[in-house]
This record gives sequence, C-alpha cells and structure tokens, in this order.
Amino acid sequence: MELLIGAGVIAATLRLATPIAFAALGGVITERSGVTNIALEGCMLFGAFFGILAADKTGSAPLAVLIGLLAGTVLAAVHAVASVTWRADQIVTGMALNILALGVTSYLNYEIYGSGVPSGVPLLPALNLDFLAGVPFVGGVIGHQNVLVWLALVLVIVLQLYMFRTVAGLRLRAVGEHPRAADTVGIDVRRTRYWAVLASGGLAALGGVYLTVADTGSFTDGLTNGRGFIGLAAMIFGRWTPVGALVASLIFGYGDALSVSLQGVSIGDLRIPVQLLSTIPYLLTILAVAGFVGRSRPPAADGVPYESEGH
Amino acid sequence: MIAPRPERERGTAATVVATPLVPLLEMRGIRKRFGELQALDGVDLVVNEGEIHALVGENGAGKTTLMNILYGLYHPDAGTIRYRGREVRITGPRDAIALGIGMIHQHFMLVPPLTVAENVVLGDERGGPPLDTRAIEQRVRALEERFGIVVEPSARIEDIPLGLQQRVEILKVLYRGSELLIFDEPTAVLTPQEVDELFVIVRQLRAEGKTLILITHKLREVLAVTDRITVLRQGRNAAQLVTKETNAAEIAKAMVGRELKELKARAATGTSLPILQISRLEALSDRGTPALRGVDLVVREGEIVGVAGVGGNGQSELAQCILGLRPVTEGTITVGGADITRDPPKRTRARGVAYVPEDRRVEGLVLPFTVADNFILGKQDREPYARRGVLEREAIAKDGDRLAKDFDVRPPNAKVIVGTLSGGNQQKVVLGREISESPRLIVISQPTRGLDIAATEYVHERLLEQRARGCGILLISSELDEIRALSDRIAVMFEGRIVATLDAADATEDRLGLLMAGHAEAASH
Amino acid sequence: MPIVSVLAALLAGAVLILISGSNPIRGYAALLRGAFGSPYNITETLVIAVPLTLAGISVAVAFRTGLFNIGAQGQLLVGALAAGWTGAQFPELPGILLLPLTLVSAVLAGGAWGAIAGWLKAARGVNEVITTIMQNYTVVFVMHWLLQNGPMTAPNAAGTPASSPIGAGAILPIIIPNEIVPLSRLHAGVVLAIAAVVVFWFLMWRTSLGYELRAVGLGARAAAQAGIDPRRRMVLVMFIAGGFAGLAGMIQVSGLFHRVFDGFSAGFGFDAIAVALLGKNSPVGITLAAVLFAAFARGGTIMQADAGVSSHLVEVVEATVLLVIAAEAIVRALAVRRGTPAEALA
Repeated sequence: MELLIGAGVIAATLRLATPIAFAALGGVITERSGVTNIALEGCMLFGAFFGILAADKTGSAPLAVLIGLLAGTVLAAVHAVASVTWRADQIVTGMALNILALGVTSYLNYEIYGSGVPSGVPLLPALNLDFLAGVPFVGGVIGHQNVLVWLALVLVIVLQLYMFRTVAGLRLRAVGEHPRAADTVGIDVRRTRYWAVLASGGLAALGGVYLTVADTGSFTDGLTNGRGFIGLAAMIFGRWTPVGALVASLIFGYGDALSVSLQGVSIGDLRIPVQLLSTIPYLLTILAVAGFVGRSRPPAADGVPYESEGH
Repeated sequence: MIAPRPERERGTAATVVATPLVPLLEMRGIRKRFGELQALDGVDLVVNEGEIHALVGENGAGKTTLMNILYGLYHPDAGTIRYRGREVRITGPRDAIALGIGMIHQHFMLVPPLTVAENVVLGDERGGPPLDTRAIEQRVRALEERFGIVVEPSARIEDIPLGLQQRVEILKVLYRGSELLIFDEPTAVLTPQEVDELFVIVRQLRAEGKTLILITHKLREVLAVTDRITVLRQGRNAAQLVTKETNAAEIAKAMVGRELKELKARAATGTSLPILQISRLEALSDRGTPALRGVDLVVREGEIVGVAGVGGNGQSELAQCILGLRPVTEGTITVGGADITRDPPKRTRARGVAYVPEDRRVEGLVLPFTVADNFILGKQDREPYARRGVLEREAIAKDGDRLAKDFDVRPPNAKVIVGTLSGGNQQKVVLGREISESPRLIVISQPTRGLDIAATEYVHERLLEQRARGCGILLISSELDEIRALSDRIAVMFEGRIVATLDAADATEDRLGLLMAGHAEAASH
Repeated sequence: MPIVSVLAALLAGAVLILISGSNPIRGYAALLRGAFGSPYNITETLVIAVPLTLAGISVAVAFRTGLFNIGAQGQLLVGALAAGWTGAQFPELPGILLLPLTLVSAVLAGGAWGAIAGWLKAARGVNEVITTIMQNYTVVFVMHWLLQNGPMTAPNAAGTPASSPIGAGAILPIIIPNEIVPLSRLHAGVVLAIAAVVVFWFLMWRTSLGYELRAVGLGARAAAQAGIDPRRRMVLVMFIAGGFAGLAGMIQVSGLFHRVFDGFSAGFGFDAIAVALLGKNSPVGITLAAVLFAAFARGGTIMQADAGVSSHLVEVVEATVLLVIAAEAIVRALAVRRGTPAEALA
C-alpha cells in the first residue's frame, strides 16, 4: 500500500508532475489562441540549459529562473514570427525548433561543460513548511516541495482565472475559436497570438528550469526527454484548461512515480512491467482525442493561420 | 414573444419615405472589379433614415459586394459614400462601426463555445480586467428589453438554434450603437416560423428609429417588410421602387432582366423512358440544417431537365446526393430502375452517371495534375489506362492528346498542368472526361460559370449533342437564359423543394422569376 | 532552392563554430573527410543513409497523400522489434526462409502500427500529427519493457538492455569484402534501400493506386467525386508508410546490430521528416537528402574527434535547413497571393 499511495509516492508525483504541468500550461495558452506549438519540448530544453548555465555563471538561482524563462521565450518568438506573421506550417517549424534546441544545447553543453556542470551551482530552495512536520501524510507530501512546484500550482489558478474570468481571457478564447469574428469586433488577432506563443515558450522553459536548477543541478543532452510532448498530451487530456492540464499532469506524474516505486516489485511470479505505466499518458491522450474517453475537442481555429480580409 | 406593433409606426416610416430631407446614406457611382469580373459598374444606393430598404438581385448581381464596400471589407475602385450628408471614407469594419453602421453577416460571426452575453459584448466589454459576467448579462438583458429581442444571455451559442443566433448577431450590432443595420440574406438559414419572428423584430427596430438594409432575393420578404427597393442586375442599377406602389411581377422582371436569347429550334428526342427518378428525397446541409425537404424529380432519356433557382436553395445538395457524395436521410434515387440511393460515387458512376461539379477547380479537377492525368480521373484503375494495377502511360498520353484535340482544349497539349489553363479550357477537360464515357445521365452544375461566350457556346453545343444521343441531362444553373435555352422541362427549386416543373414553352421569365423568389401562388396565374 | 537552404544552414553552423572559438573551415574540412574521405568513411555514411532513405520515403508517401507522418520513428522501432523477435525466435531456419520472414514481419508490424493513425483520422477525424507523436512515445516505453524485463529480454545480458541475437539466417550479409574495404559494415540493406526507392517511384507514378494517392493529396474533393474514397486511401497509405519505416527498422537489426537494444536508432524518424522535406518528397531527392544528412551525421563524429567541434553542430545545421524550407513555403504562399499560379512554382 505504501508503494501505491504513501506520502513518498504522492510527493514524488507532485515533483514529477511539475515540469509536465508547466509545459501543459504553455500549451493551453498558445492553443487557446489558435497556434499549435510542438516546439514546447525545445523551449523546455532551452530553459533547462540556459537556466543552469545562468545559475553557474551568475551564482544566483532567481536570476537563473529569469534567464531560463527568457531563453524559452526567445525560441518561441521564432515560432511566433514563422507561424503568425509568415503563416508557415506550424508543425514543420515546431519540429525544426525542437531539433534546433537539441542541437544548440548539446553543442554548447559540449563546448562549455565538456566534463559536466560543476557541482555547487546555486539551486532553488525547497519551501520547508515546518509547522506541517508533525502532520501525518500531508507533512510528507507538501512539507518540503520546491518553490517552483508551488509556483506551478499558483500559475494554474492564475491562468484558470485569467482564461475564464477576465476580459483578456475572453478575447484570447475568441481568437482561438473564431478569429474572423474577433477581428470584426476590433480584436487584434495577430497581437493576441504573439503574446500567447511567447507566454507558452516562457512557461515551458520554467518546466525546464525546474529540471536543472531545482531538481538535478546538472545537465545532460536531451535532458527533457519528451516531457514537453507529455505536456501537450496533458493539455489535450485536460481539455485545454489550466486546471484540467494540472489534473492530467498529476495523473501522468503519478504513473511516473509508480514506475519508480514499483521497480522490481513482483506480484507472485509476475514482475510488474513498470515501463508500461509510462505509456498511459499517450494512450489516454489518443483515446481522448478519438472520443473514446470523453471527447477532447481542440479550439476550432487551432493550427490554422489567420489571414485578415481586405482587397 | 413580442407583440406586433400597430400600423401607426409603419405610417410614420412611410412619412419619412415620402419626405426625404437628407438621405441617411448615399452611395454614388460605386465601381468594383475583381480580376476579369466587373462586379459593380457604377451603382447608386440611397437609403433614407428610418426606412427598411430592400437590396434585391440574383446571385452575382453585386448586392453583397456593395454592402461589403459599405462595411469597409472591400475598397471601391470609384464612387463616393455620403453618410448623413457628409462624405466618408470607410477603410475597415472599425470605421463603419464608428459611423453607426452594423452588419448582420450571413455566416454568423459568433464564437460557438461562448455565451450569448459574451458574444454580444466581445471586443467592447466596458470594464475589466476581471470579467463581470453578471454585469454583462444584465446589460445585454436591458438591451434585449429595449428592442424586444429575447435570448437567454447565459446560454451558449452552440446550444441555441440558428434563429436565436441571428438575434445575437442583431444584439451585437445594437450594442455598439448602430443606426444603420445591414442584413445579409437574413432568412437564408431560418425556418418559416423563425422568418416571421425576424420580421417582427425588423419592424420593431424601425419603430425604434433604426434604418435597415435587407439584402435578399425573396420577393415575399421584400413585399412583407420593406419600404423601398433597389434592384441590382449584373453590377448595375435595374430599378428603384417604392414597395407600396409595386408588385412581385415588376420586381421579378427587374431582377431577371429582359435580355431574351433566341431559343434554338430543337427536335424532340425524348422517349418516355425515365433514366433518373428521385422521390421524396431529403438530406441535410453541411451545417446540419435541412437542405432537401422532399424532392421529386424525373429525367427521361434524351431530355434536358433544367433546375432553376437562386443559389443555396438545395441545388448543390441535390447533385451531391445523386452522386453519392452526401448521405440521403429520406427518399430514394434510381438510375435506369436500379436503386442507387446509398451507393458511393464509384458505383453510381459505374451505372453510367457522369458529373460535372459546380466548382471545377476544387471538385472537378486535380489542379497540379496534367490534362492527360485529369482525363483519367476515376478511370485510373480500368483498361485501357491501367492493366493489373499498373498505369498504361502510353494509352494515357495518347488518349490525352486525342481528347485535348477533340474537346478543343487550348493549348492542345495534354502534358500541360491543368491549373495553368483558362477557366473555359479547364471546363472542357472536365466535360471531355465525363462525356467521353458515353454516359446515360449527366448531372451538370453551373456549366458555364465564369466562362466567356465562345466557351459557353461550346459547352452548350456538347450538351445538346449528348441529348441528341439519348443521354438524360440534369442541368443545374443559376443562369436563367442558359436554363431556358437548353431545357426541355424546367424544375424550379426553392428552399429545398421543387416548387414547380414547367414545360419549356410555358416557362416565361416572369413565371420563373416569381417561382424562384418563392412566389408560387402568383406564378400560377 | 534546396541547395540554398543547405548553404544557408551551413553558414549558420559556421557562425556558431566561430562563436565557440573554433575554425569553421577546419571543422567543415574534417566533416567532409569524415563523410567521404576514404572508402571506409563512404561506406559508413551509406550505412546511415540506408535507414534515413527508407524512413524518408515513409514520410514522403504520406505527404504525397496529404498526411503528415510524424510517426516514422515509432514505426521504425516497431519494425525493428518485430524483426528482432522473428529473427531470434526461429534461429535454426535457413536464411532463404528466415530473412524474408523477418522482413515481412517488420513491414507488416510497422504498417499495422502506422495504419492505426490512418484509421483514427479516417474514422474519427483525429489529427494524425497528434496520434503519431503519442504513438512514438508509446513504442519507446513498450520497448523499454520488452528489452529490460519483458518477453524479449536477452537472458544474462549485461550492459544496455537488449534482445537475444537473431539467427544467422536473418542477417543481411556484408556486401563489400574485407579485402577491398577493411572493417566495412556496408550490408545488403543498401540494396533493399535502392529497391525501396524504385518501389516508391513505381508505386506513386506508375500504378493506379499511386495515382489515387496523389489525387487525394492534391485534390481530395475532386478525387472523392470521381469515386476514389479518400478515407480508405488514408488508412492504406499510413500502412504503406509504416511498412517502409518498419523495413528501415528491420535493416538496422538484420544488417547492423543483429539484435534490438534500448536507445536503438534514436532520432532517425525525425531526421526523416527533414529528409523528405529537403528531398521534396521525390525518390531521387530523398536519396540525395538522405546521403547528405548521413554525411552530416558520420562527418560530425569525425569533426568532433579531429577538429574539436561538437558533433551536435549537425543538428543545428539540420534544423536550419528545415526552417529555411519552411520559409520557402512562405515565399510560395506569398507568390500565390500575388496571383502567380501555385503550380508554376511547384
């Protein structure tokens, strides 16, 4: 039982869900505006590398967060220019940026840290809630989580409110669903989409920053290992809402946590195939999009470049 | 619901009509050209304050282009617009809205997952950053009460019927303080009950002092609610009428025009053998609304049956149902006695049905393919063009050149990419492909749209040839001249039904015009 | 235009080398030497070009039908797993039976895996990009299980988790004798790749089916009214695409590694997208683009060893090629808007 729902597993779930949730939030913002951004993986990788690089060179963890975030935003800016202004194929551009991010970070990692990131780089601290120390379970789960885990949770709430409880959020959703309708009432479709794509890059980069500057303190080539894509899956499974994306991230993170805690465990003669747990996010997502598990419907204008009328 | 206003209001509006001081809107000499097409050729439109003004004409007469210019979506090549006596330049919808001009689009500009209230205020939320849903809904409710237009503000657009969605479009325009409301084909998607309700709202708006322009081709509506009428025909003014002083026949005549072409004398070739029989056919449009509401139709061997009607009354859907491209919800279709109601296109075509679709660039041809490759579209797996699944390049090239020559495709080279040909030559490729198989039935839609005179004549001659051969032809066209020149019998479609089938000799333009405009009673006299 | 994009990308790479304080000319010279500098280097480049060509065809055949196959990577791995399983399961069978059996199992497995995405698109309207991305990751984890503690795990394997070696009958022979090019690993897979290029060309431009697929890709509605059901062709073409990728996986197993291991052929399916785009989805173009990218990959390792420039520079160059190709599509889109017929530029 401890292996399935113990405080250790649940705490690990939160940790593992955090980078996924950041990417998923980024995905929600950009796709709600009508731009598909599969370069989230690359933005995350940028955040991870430039975050740890900044932590090492400046000696400041908060500055590292800022620089990591900026790096992801810059990569997203390329996507924004290509997909919003030039109306390029968003999948091709996204693929290219993912490969570019992998190449640039691996290249710089080799050139700068041929022998690995030195130890002793300043990292983001955990928030120690000592007053919870005595509380069973809860203390174990949230008593010592990193500040970025908390930031992710706060951002989920903030973005949920932004999207469904503010004027700007209303306009964002209108742009993603029916850009022409938004255009005819005077909403600037292009500007809305630009900001959304930039924000998505920044958010995904935070997930990357978490992996290096909060979690491991080191960098390896291709460190994000598909977490950006799991983030997209969480976005879809969470039906393009921040809270839904968080729930999906937690489900996916729980699967990851289980695959660690159940490693080598047997039921009778059968060793539990923990790796198969990791396929759950992807299978659930396919089933959700196909309408077999609920119906997950993307914004109507998602991935469709917008061209304003006028002759 | 809203009680109809007493006649007094109508009298008030009529007074305005009678004593026009400065017109609210004055468009003079408007010209607009799209490539080869002169869409507007010096059109005038004068609308007085407080009236309901009908803008009437057939498809392609220039109604929507004129209104898109007024709303700033297109820029005119020439002409002036005066609003309240002042000359204005309208460069975009924002300018139009600022002047007090609002447009109720034919394809609603509504965001389906958002609520009614959110759609009404979108872009002009007055408040924020937080979205005060309650305040917005109250504001919309107040607006609804003022104009007597009722829609639940908290309902989602995707959950309410089209008739109510249209009210939201109207509310959107009123919310922005528009004085002049343009309705683009407002009844096209409505049920008859919804149309009646719309008219109540329209009269109510006039009573509130609004001015309305109604783009339409339906005479019943024109006569029922408007005060004055501007008729356009082929990008020019055809008539200016006062509703009370005119009648359906006069409007129809102005709409259709008087340019009669000489009918070719033709020997009757029809046997009595029916080739196509359609009975009680029903089908849905792409939007899920009823498009065909019980169509009955027969085409016999050696006979051309023309389907007349203003575009969007179910003609396209009828052709698609026959081919098997659109699911039939009720009724049956038989070809040569065999039931093909549920057959896919391949099997339908195997029964000798040929199809020339209305949009040749999207449906008729694979534009990046060569002429020769387009000639074999649909025959790519049959001899002589393929043997055991392998294309016979020589046969394809040889027949391509032969057909290009036979059907006078210019340049007469089957290796040319079809997309680079002119519209007329593209149509020859489609036609050549379809009739070279000696079909028993040809379904042909808008066969000469966008073609020049020579190409048009060419297409007509080929069709008459096929008729003489004994082929049955279903000719769908919005060109009345074409229908009258070619058809043995003419079926008129209106709102998803065949409202009448006339022998060509009885089909005067007046009668056709009235029938096309949904005026079946008047046409029978 | 493809040449322009490659040159632009090489230029961008040179800038990156300069920034990091090395000599671009020395770097590129080392790269060129590594790729083509000796008979051995040439054969090594071709060894990489073989799976790239096949995976590139996989992407291109779908592209030609109007579908974006991001899933070549997963289909390749499924093919490799099927080949590895079949090859190891019947080790006593003679080559004349086992090799075709291995090949067919890989093609069918890859094809079936690809067809799922086609079916979901045809029957449920699901965007194939989403499906194939999700499928790729699914395969990776199933593969972890199969090779780490699943039914395919080799008993007593040390180091990287791997499957049992395939039988001698399932191995593609080395086609260049040691006396001519010592240590060469160039296997008969190169013949299969050339055959695949010919099959791809013949299928698309010489058969009725290929005609139908191209018609669906270039004018789905025109094809539909002519009696070619686009939905059926979508399922079929994704099966074919998966089959080509599966063949790539089989060749990696039978020709090169003789077993499947974790981290097997990572990234080939993604490079394949770049190969297909750069090669304009044409047989010759894909072959040339595959050789080019293989030269980058092979030359990159030598460049790192000889000139001290990280081999990851190659990814930067590759991504830049893709971005410039995307920009090319933009140029075309703009030209169309100005009224130049799109076909004239195609």
